[in-house]
Formats: sequence, structure tokens, C-alpha cells
Amino acid sequence: MVKGLYTAYTGLINQQNRLDVVTNNLANATTTGYKKEGTTSQSFDSLMAIKINDPTSANINQNIGPVSLGVKIGENYRDYSQGSFKNTSGPYDFALSGNGLFSVSFTNKAGEESIMYTRDGSFQMAQDGSLVTKDGDPVLGQDGPIVLPTDATISTDETGEIYADGQYIDKFAITDFEDNNYLEQYGENMYKAVDGATKKDATATVMQGYLEMSNVNVVSEMVQMITISRAFESNQKVMTSIDETLQKAVTLGQL
Amino acid sequence: MLRSLWTAASGMNAQQTNVDTIANNLANINTTGYKAESAEFKSLLYQNLQSKTTSANGANKPVSAQVGLGVRTASISSNFTQGSFIQSDSSSSFAINGKGFFAVSGVDGQTAYTRNGSFNISQGTDGLTLCTSEGYPVLDSTGAPIVFDAAMNSSNITVDSDGNFCYPDASNNPVPIGISIGVFQFANPTGLNKTAASLFTETGASGVAINEANTAGINKSKIKQSYLEGSNVQVATEMVNLITAQRAYELNSKAINASDEMLQQANSLKR
Repeated sequence: MVKGLYTAYTGLINQQNRLDVVTNNLANATTTGYKKEGTTSQSFDSLMAIKINDPTSANINQNIGPVSLGVKIGENYRDYSQGSFKNTSGPYDFALSGNGLFSVSFTNKAGEESIMYTRDGSFQMAQDGSLVTKDGDPVLGQDGPIVLPTDATISTDETGEIYADGQYIDKFAITDFEDNNYLEQYGENMYKAVDGATKKDATATVMQGYLEMSNVNVVSEMVQMITISRAFESNQKVMTSIDETLQKAVTLGQL
Repeated sequence: MLRSLWTAASGMNAQQTNVDTIANNLANINTTGYKAESAEFKSLLYQNLQSKTTSANGANKPVSAQVGLGVRTASISSNFTQGSFIQSDSSSSFAINGKGFFAVSGVDGQTAYTRNGSFNISQGTDGLTLCTSEGYPVLDSTGAPIVFDAAMNSSNITVDSDGNFCYPDASNNPVPIGISIGVFQFANPTGLNKTAASLFTETGASGVAINEANTAGINKSKIKQSYLEGSNVQVATEMVNLITAQRAYELNSKAINASDEMLQQANSLKR
């Protein structure tokens, strides 16, 4: 009886977590280079339930079968499918088509430098000519931050090679990973590689003057949201009916 | 639960900023030398929901289950592409073809920069002064206000494509009078600080103004007299952006509704 109460409780918590993820997708529906996220649910390990001390079966213990006592998050995953392109014709706006991520040198508050990866190619030029993100983190080329001449027309080809007035300057460090599960969300549109991540050559092509929009599919998110609120409601109904049953049991002794 | 409420609220705020930017672009569609702006967004922090996760085939995943906490405005940046040229009847109207900016001496004598070349000639103490419609003097390539001899007929002053002022001599041939209009470039025009009346001021992010007249190897802008530069706002783009922004706003409000309903149900658990 009370077991069921806690099972329904795990259901409520799980639906809340799923709604948090869906809401974050909706909030980022217009974020540059955002990749939608999803959650899977996993049941608790099942236990063998056994009927004991039952006088009707001469006190012989009988197997009822496996029961699972709740639900938890299986995994959170990101869908790395291609987002749509928005034409900005900005000279420092780049979109990646295909698999790959831009590399950005990121310095945290403690002054530690690390490499972050991003699909957000809305860059700008700093006054010394270095190509930086909108937060001012330097964008990496083949050997270190990309520095461009300030008075030249910048163009790129599909492979990510950057030319200033037709002269080769640098090439974007575009990286891909064998297994995207080894990428952790940092926020600020950036991903951090965790231990065990193996790099591989990126197949992405670079498009100048475009930005990649988020790949959030609004219809499926709305459907998800409906499913979640209904599942939450069902769990709530289970909880109230257990409560009612418990109340009956409590009032049984009263005359 | 409260997480999703605040996440959705951050989404609504972001979309408001988006609509604000679009509305300002549409309001300035006929503003001379106006450059369209666009708002860009970034994801906010991420939080751990559950540290141990397993993938579909039961293997442990290297990263924990994370949930994002919303969105924030990353930047509102101007797009400094060339606007179209509009013919003007005034000989003191100028348009820049290229990356340059006109310099004017602003309110407190601070130099401000503008793409709006709709200037006037006014009677100053030293002679005929070229100034903006607000009365700020326009600066020449040496940084001094542009002042013509009071005896000149202002409608006869011409400007060649390099920005040199000319005045007709006795045989009606335009002769340079030794003043040229100041045109300045910036390494990162997106970093300029926007002030009222289409004026920009220099910041650390934009870099110092590069004077086209005395910098070698720079792509010089061309000056066109009797033309004005229209805004570079693209109505179709703005409309599409407006639709996206409005719908995204609506979506986030739906998420708030859903969170609210779920909270209500949780509340009704206790009778």
C-alpha cells in the first residue's frame, strides 16, 4: 500500500524533471546553434515479491512476481541533427553544415584556460583583429587563436580556410568526436569534453554569412509537454486513490 | 517544478528583447544610415539532475543527466552592410560607399561618428559651417570643423568621390579648396557605442578610429554627393523574425501554463 505511494511519488518527480528539459528546449527555441535535449526514463531495478504468512495457502511462501518500485531518469541526450540556416550576411557569422564543432579558448573565473566546443558561429572581431565569440573568448585556428588583418575583406571556403583579400590566413579548428556522449554541456552554447573523449576529423563545411538556428521541433515539444502533464496527472490520481484507500483502512476501526 | 517556471520566464524575457529589437528596426526603416540590429541568444547554466545515467543499452554514460536553466541575450549587434542610395536634392547630402563613418563634434566636443550624411550649411561665426541637422559641426580629415569662406555660394560647393571639397573658379572649373571631408573606419564597428540621433561613439571594443586620409593600405570609402544612404533593414527578414519571436514567446507561456497546472495538481494532493 504505502509502497505504491512512493512509486507514484517517483513518477511525479520524474515528470517534473522531464518538463524542466522540455521547457529549456522551448526557452532556447531561437538560440543560435542550440541542440535539443531529451530525457529517457528508466524503471528501478525490479524486485521479487513473495507472499508470506498467508494462512489460506498453509503458510507456504508463494512467489507473486517481479515488481518495480519507481522510475528515474535513464539518460539525458542531445540531438545533434542539423539546425536550419539563417542568412545574416554578417562577415563574421559562420554556420557549420554537417558534423563538427568550432573550438574556442575559454578562460574561467579562476584564470584556467581550457578548450570549449560550440556550434554557435556568431563571432566578431576584436580591436586587435582577433576573432572572438560574442563573450570575447578567442576562436581557435590551426595553431592558436585566429588573428585577422583589420582592414581586409574576410572570406572563407567550405573547408574552413580563412582568406583576407584572397590571401590565406588560418583555418578554423573544427573538431568532431567519436562519441558525442563524452561532451558535457557547459552553458553559454558551449560544450566541454570529458575524460575519454576521442577526437576525429570533422566532416562539417563552413558557410560564411549564415547562422545555424536551433533544431528544436516545436510540435514535438508541445506534444511532449501534453504527455508530461497528463502523466503527472495520472500519478497524482494514483496518489489520491492510495490516500483514499489508506483513509478507509484508518477509519475501519472506528464505529 | 519551479525550475521550469523560471526557465520559461527567461525564454519569455529573451523573446521580448527580440521583439524590442525587431520593432526598433521597423521603426527606423526610413532612418538615413540606420543599420539593422539583431538579437542573439545563448543557453544559460546547466545543472545536474542525476549523476549516474545509463544509455539505452544499459551502459554507463560518461556524463551526468544535465538540465539547462534557460536562455539569455548574448548580444544585440548591428549589421554594418551597405544601405541603398537614395537621391537627394540637397548638395550638402552625402552618402558613404564603403566601411567609413563621418565624424562630427558632439554635444560636449566629443567626437561622434555617423553614417547619416544628411548635413546642412549654416552661417557660423567663422563662415559657412557644415553641420548635421542637430547643428553638430562635421569634421574634416584633420579633425577640424569644416568651415567655408563666407563669400562662397554654398550651392556651388561640390565634393569629389574622395571627399575633397571643390569650388568653381572664374572659368567654372571645380578647383579643390584644400578641405576634405573626414572619413574614419573601425576595426570592429559592431563594438561602437550607439547614442541618440544616429551617432556612434568609440569604445575599447571598437578600437580607435582609423583616419582614411592618412592611413596607407586601407580600402578607402567613396563619397557620393547629393545622395543619402537608406537603412539596410530588410522588411521580409524582420517579419519572419517577428513571427518566430512571437511564437516562441507563446510557446514559453504554454510551458508556464503546464508548470502551473502541475503545481496545482500537486497542491490538490493534500485534501
